[in-house]
Amino acid sequence: MHEQTIKPMKPRDRVLAALNRAPVDRTPTCNPTSVATVELMDLVDAPFPNANREPELMARLAATGYTELGFDTIMPVFTIIQESSALGCKIQWEQKDNWPTVKMKEPIWHKVDDIEIPSNLLTHPDTKCVLDAIGILRKEYGDEVAIIGKTMGPWSLAYHCFGVEDFLLLSLDDPDHTRQILDKLKEVTVEFGVAQIEAGADALTLPDHATGDLVSGDYYDRYLRELHIEFADRIPIPLILHICGRTVDRMEYIAQTGMAAFHYDSKNDPDESIDIIKERIALVGNINNPETLFSKEPETVREEVYKNLDAGVNLIGPECAIPLQTSIENLKEIPNAVVDWHAEAKRVHG
Amino acid sequence: MGQTLDLGRRIELVPMDTHFHDITIGLYRQENAQGTTFRVHTYSQIDGAQERIDSVNHAMRVLGGMEDTGEGVLRFPCGATHLLSVKRLFLESCKLGMDDDVSMRPLTILDKKSGLHISATAQSNAVYTITADRDEKGADRRIRLVAGGLAKLGELEQVKEDQVCFDCGMTHDPLIGVLIVRAPNVRSVLRELEQAASRGVLAAPSAQN
Repeated sequence: MHEQTIKPMKPRDRVLAALNRAPVDRTPTCNPTSVATVELMDLVDAPFPNANREPELMARLAATGYTELGFDTIMPVFTIIQESSALGCKIQWEQKDNWPTVKMKEPIWHKVDDIEIPSNLLTHPDTKCVLDAIGILRKEYGDEVAIIGKTMGPWSLAYHCFGVEDFLLLSLDDPDHTRQILDKLKEVTVEFGVAQIEAGADALTLPDHATGDLVSGDYYDRYLRELHIEFADRIPIPLILHICGRTVDRMEYIAQTGMAAFHYDSKNDPDESIDIIKERIALVGNINNPETLFSKEPETVREEVYKNLDAGVNLIGPECAIPLQTSIENLKEIPNAVVDWHAEAKRVHG
Repeated sequence: MGQTLDLGRRIELVPMDTHFHDITIGLYRQENAQGTTFRVHTYSQIDGAQERIDSVNHAMRVLGGMEDTGEGVLRFPCGATHLLSVKRLFLESCKLGMDDDVSMRPLTILDKKSGLHISATAQSNAVYTITADRDEKGADRRIRLVAGGLAKLGELEQVKEDQVCFDCGMTHDPLIGVLIVRAPNVRSVLRELEQAASRGVLAAPSAQN
């Protein structure tokens, strides 16, 4: 996708072009999930858990991904629980140094008929916070930087509302019932996604945790492929599907969904992944979190960035929400390495 | 446009300082003409944050025998890195409040499991010999345990089963005082470090409880 003749682009234009697999001046750096750290929380006085619940703090902390780290995107939806909170799930909000989680041992629903999408889904404080934060960021940054929202897919929502174990067992025992649940929950995904577009989002991450460790590629085909095609039709901005773990067994199906991009995990080799998707969808990733960004030094981060760029990955970023204790110098190395790789490529190829 | 600083490599972090408004405090390593130097830093700009950093600096100097080279930059007198030792020293220093008295710790501990008093004594060649106050059954094993704990916790070289030394070839009595307290329980210290590191790592819903 890189072409020498492209004039310098603004970060937003660069990201949107890459998501459309159009030519770019250089590969964009993109964080479809969180790059918040405890040090950045201090820098802008916007610590968790409040930065997940107050729009001004959420926007302020998210902006550091652009202003401090140098990414081409700003992503304010740090958690995966905002809409689950609005649906009525019990939330453990935790402290500054940890992620809020849904208390999935206390499921709120047990069968499809229990599902009741509340009328205040978009006005609940924890969803409204996201919408307001996106509005603040759009106002502040105009069309300079790409603002990425997040709307959770029905598989992830089902884990939250029905409990992981119960929902997985149901998917084995009663496929029809499972499909009915996913069908009802998909409206939450669409409604929250569209509201974020109206608030000013340029693209949306759509995490749907049919993860490699628990769910097979066949499961993805059976339960989620059609739904994801529907999301690409109904949500009218670029969607970035996010699934953790080794997912090469479903990348062929994912490439058929019509989504703009797949945010992929470091358990998948960049070359292998590029070979499977065959330019039908952009790839975003896949710098390893727990070993590289969290535990190693900038040189290793740089090696992984280069490996992705050599393979032709369209947008470079961490594989998932980064650990909150990740060092700033490792995160800054991602954009620095991208710029250097392009400079080196220019020197070699003229 | 950014406000973040080039402070060198961050080598240790206290994500929430319970003594001062839960601010985050980092320890950074820098390589320069003075050898390896270290800087304690917080990005917090709330009132009193710099005083808190000063208090941690002070504790690292008193507890660990570090020198202040100016502007809050610390180094060991030998100029060496002593990476694990300095990380442990930093964590122990952050455990002290701003009003706590800070003094160098003794090189003798009461080993609760055996009831023995175990000491580290520097020899003329800068090797520390670990000894117990009584020669009773099991004392040898506890001495070996403490020597091994020092080696593991502080990255010391194990000269003999009961002897350790720093790789710089110099003595660091204050550091030994910091390390020897935790040396008999090195496994639990390592477990604590693992737990602290896993905090703040987001697990996929499938991996959550």
